Amino acid sequence: MALLEVEDVVAGYGAGPDILTGVTVSIEEGTSYCIVGPNGAGKSTLLRAIAGFLKPRAGQITLDGVVMNGSRPDQMLAAGVCFVPQDASLFPMMTVRENLTMGGYLIDDRALLRQRMDMVYETFPILAERRAQAAGTLSGGEQQMVTLGRALMVEPRLVMIDEPSLGLAPMIADQIFEKIRGFRDLGITVVLVEQNAVKGLEAVDWGIVLDLGSKEFEGPAEGILADPRIRELYLGKAVASKDKG
Amino acid sequence: MMEHWLQILVLGLLLGGVYAMMASGLTLLFGVMRVVNLAHAAFILIAAYITYALFENLTLDPMISLVVTMPLMFGLGVGLYLLLFPRLEESPRYVEMTVLLTFGLALIVEGLLTFTFTGIFRSVRPDYAATSLTIGDIFLPTSQLYASLISFALLILLWVVLRFTKTGTAIRATMQNRAAAQIVGVNVRWISALAFGLGMSLAGAAGSLLSFMFPFFPARHWQWIALLLALIVLGGMGSIKGAVIGALLLAVASAFVTDLVGPTWSPITFYLTLFVILLVRPQGLFGAKVRL
Repeated sequence: MALLEVEDVVAGYGAGPDILTGVTVSIEEGTSYCIVGPNGAGKSTLLRAIAGFLKPRAGQITLDGVVMNGSRPDQMLAAGVCFVPQDASLFPMMTVRENLTMGGYLIDDRALLRQRMDMVYETFPILAERRAQAAGTLSGGEQQMVTLGRALMVEPRLVMIDEPSLGLAPMIADQIFEKIRGFRDLGITVVLVEQNAVKGLEAVDWGIVLDLGSKEFEGPAEGILADPRIRELYLGKAVASKDKG
Repeated sequence: MMEHWLQILVLGLLLGGVYAMMASGLTLLFGVMRVVNLAHAAFILIAAYITYALFENLTLDPMISLVVTMPLMFGLGVGLYLLLFPRLEESPRYVEMTVLLTFGLALIVEGLLTFTFTGIFRSVRPDYAATSLTIGDIFLPTSQLYASLISFALLILLWVVLRFTKTGTAIRATMQNRAAAQIVGVNVRWISALAFGLGMSLAGAAGSLLSFMFPFFPARHWQWIALLLALIVLGGMGSIKGAVIGALLLAVASAFVTDLVGPTWSPITFYLTLFVILLVRPQGLFGAKVRL
């Protein structure tokens, strides 16, 4: 049985139109995924719906076969699903250490918290150096590392990361992708959403292509980029017809 | 002459302490929920009238009635929040809706108070209302001294709760980044209800203390809310430190203006200072650039 099943999920914001028009994806434990697709395909919306920030209008989300529709974000997190949104969303006036402590908000065992924090510092040595610094004063890459490190505090089963390279210099982005690749060795299933499809797909096993709110196709990550359908999605049909002459 | 200035300074600080507590409750609500609670001063009045009723009927000392008004207002705050606010959360016009909602609440409270206690001036007169202490050449009105000491004690208590408890840390986290708080598993609805309760319990304490400092009547809250809004905008919306410093600054400034120019000019000090500060620093003294 898959870790997470998303079946025919329809979702949108407020009274607005459906952004997701019926998505079905299946996430297996231990595999890493990257969701790609053009702007407005519903990639971030899908993550938000899974994380409990957006109630699906229809369809079903199950985790280990348990229906999770309409769960709150804190309930999804307690179930092992951790969400890392786009804009390095941390607590700017708190120190790095306090941010990590907040990451372990759901953990009451202090010894366990300390142990996890040491683990995070081991994975991200730069955070150990910066531990007493206010998170808001860090560079973009360091802030992204705080949000990733914070996600590790709960030892999640599934981490969903939205556009980790957004606004980062290419070299810094590469470091972030390297860390994300390392998540798999920690036994964490990763679902990535990335505008930079090439980089994103390089970091994972399996690619899922989304367009207009539903899944277009999926397959092994290295095969996705070579697929002619990807080109059509990103560049549009006009270019494709021009090719034909 | 020096003693005279010191005297004015002390009087300003005493009043500022009470203002600081009133403003902290209001700015806490804004910080956690992005709600500008226009009914805050009306809730302060509810506590003042409860204190009045307890004093008239049971001769309960207004400072002791804090024990009643604070938990009562805390409960009222949590209840009102859970009843009225969650349904507005989905609205894209959340901030505007909450302004209308709290304005409506203020009108309702004013109406109920007028109905129950009539519109005439009330005040609570315990023994210490008309006495004063002198330290050296400085004279301290006992009522203001007591009210100020209690206010500072409560502010320190609030700081300890926010700084050193897990729930307090969650409240601060929610103030800094609501979405991030949700991501780490904070139940922001519950935290908001709790913060609303905390802010309201400070309003409760303020009501009990104001009851023996100033005479009051049901429509008095409009004056107070205008003053409180000036204080929290000056300090930076959502910054408790800012609210406290803003309150002390403005209270002292208005004490000096009263002394030098005359009491008629005292209220305008608040708005004039506010005007100048906003020209120079639109986000207030300690506010982050506003993102609603």
